[in-house]
Amino acid sequence: MNLTLAQLILQDRQIAYALTDRTLRIVEAGGAMDLFGKNGVSCLGRALVDLFPELVGSEDLLAEILAGKRPRLQLDWINREADGQTLYLTMVDLPLRSPGGSVTGLIHILQDTTGMGNLGQELAQRRNELRLLHDQLARRNSELAAANTELRRLDDLKSAFISSATHELRTPLSTIIGYLEMLLEENFGPLHGEQHEILAIIQGSARRLLTIVNTLLDITRIEAGRIELTLRPTDLKALVERLVAEFRPQLEARAQHLALEAPPELPPALCDETRAMQIVSNLLSNASKYTPDGGKITIALSPAAEEGFLQLAVADTGMGISPDDQPHLFDRFFRTRTAVQSNVEGLGLGLYITRSLVELHRGRIWFESKPGRGSIFYVTFPVAGPAEDTLAPPGGAGPGFGFRATR
Amino acid sequence: MTTTISKKVCLLGDFAVGKTSLVRRFVYNLFNDKYLSTIGVKVSRKAVAIPRQDGVVELNMILWDLAGSEEFEQLRDSYLRGAAGAVLVCDLTRPETLESLHSYAEDLLRVSPGARLVLAANKHDLTDQWRLTPQQIEAAAAGLHTSYYLTSAKTGEEVETLFRWLGQMLVEPTPGTSR
Repeated sequence: MNLTLAQLILQDRQIAYALTDRTLRIVEAGGAMDLFGKNGVSCLGRALVDLFPELVGSEDLLAEILAGKRPRLQLDWINREADGQTLYLTMVDLPLRSPGGSVTGLIHILQDTTGMGNLGQELAQRRNELRLLHDQLARRNSELAAANTELRRLDDLKSAFISSATHELRTPLSTIIGYLEMLLEENFGPLHGEQHEILAIIQGSARRLLTIVNTLLDITRIEAGRIELTLRPTDLKALVERLVAEFRPQLEARAQHLALEAPPELPPALCDETRAMQIVSNLLSNASKYTPDGGKITIALSPAAEEGFLQLAVADTGMGISPDDQPHLFDRFFRTRTAVQSNVEGLGLGLYITRSLVELHRGRIWFESKPGRGSIFYVTFPVAGPAEDTLAPPGGAGPGFGFRATR
Repeated sequence: MTTTISKKVCLLGDFAVGKTSLVRRFVYNLFNDKYLSTIGVKVSRKAVAIPRQDGVVELNMILWDLAGSEEFEQLRDSYLRGAAGAVLVCDLTRPETLESLHSYAEDLLRVSPGARLVLAANKHDLTDQWRLTPQQIEAAAAGLHTSYYLTSAKTGEEVETLFRWLGQMLVEPTPGTSR
């Protein structure tokens, strides 16, 4: 081959070579000589190992090549710094043979593989960074898991404390309320006007206190998953009528008009009567609280759009719920800005408990509201099947439960 | 009388433990916080004067900074051949990097049986992130029959001492004593 042509090819392919004698001194060099670095121009006569520190420690292997015992020595991905850039090289040493076949020295070849090297570096960089990130995340997750376990433990302690405290509070409170009723009924003698008035105030406060205690007890039970439902086929319309009767004096005191709409024939709902009463009571109480005097409240019962369910809707002509508040309405302890500003009493737990109870019944709760025009709260209850005259908690039947799911 | 000798020293350990930074600190007295993964091998050299009973030896340390990623495992034997010594590097903030040192040492000693070892527990400056105790490092070093140093390529802590200790081992005819 034409030597100039060979030089051109070596230059283009970024390959440099050096030929040595048997003492490993360079006797000839060519190709892309810039790969030899700044020593390239004066490499002739120098020891190969001096010029290429990568060969330090490999003297035995080079001797084996010279002795014809080893065909080659190759080192890949050698990094070199050149003008602030990393150069990647492959270094190969082969035996240099005379026409007679004897080894007269080495052919030392350097090839620039920077293109591949840069790609490899970028891949390794990204992969290693990802692995570091993954390790950090794994560590963080494990720390968070430990923190969560501790938080759960503290939360359980708190729930146990609240549960125990509310339980302890409820017993004497019930006694107080009981004796107050007897006093107000004048079982222990007649009361004059002011005494009656004061005792009635005490009775109102004691009942509010009992409601708060019951609410807290419900929260701890819900969060501990300890609410048990006694599911029975229930006439929802009758249940609502009873509740309406209870609410009547309160509604009349505020001149609020209440209407109940229900078709003549409705199948029974499968629910826990006490808890269903609590659900409807919460919704009705809210509707009354947030509706101005003289406003209108409508309770409508109907088959739900979802097959196998009954729907109960409580509509009011109250202040409505602002769009900002709507996403948080079922959150624990959430109170709307208007409720706070209007001094409406409450802990912000009613709707949270209501939703939990509805979901325990496998029903749904949602609402529509227009600020200034009112709100409608919807709740669904499953329809009781013909054989469902026994009890069961949702999510699995306990001992003695004969519940058959209708969904 | 001054004798000059060259010895190949490999830096071994998992990726991102600070091998390149240790070499950079030792050779150029520089440090860069940015992590840049090494692929293949980067060879640097530094000459150090090591006193010996018969005079001073000028030791030309040829430092082979090897990629820590496992895709270079197949090439590692060719890099390890002819090594006179090695610095086994772990990261004090990543316990798993200490566990893998045993396998690096085994690989090295299989290819270069007489190689001298030293353990560098790096990133000693990251005190609030240590997840390895000096006792764990000491136990690992004992298992590898070597000494250990708590180093920081960032501050330079113990870096020079570590390499000089290894240098001393490389020029001494018999194994040195541990710290």
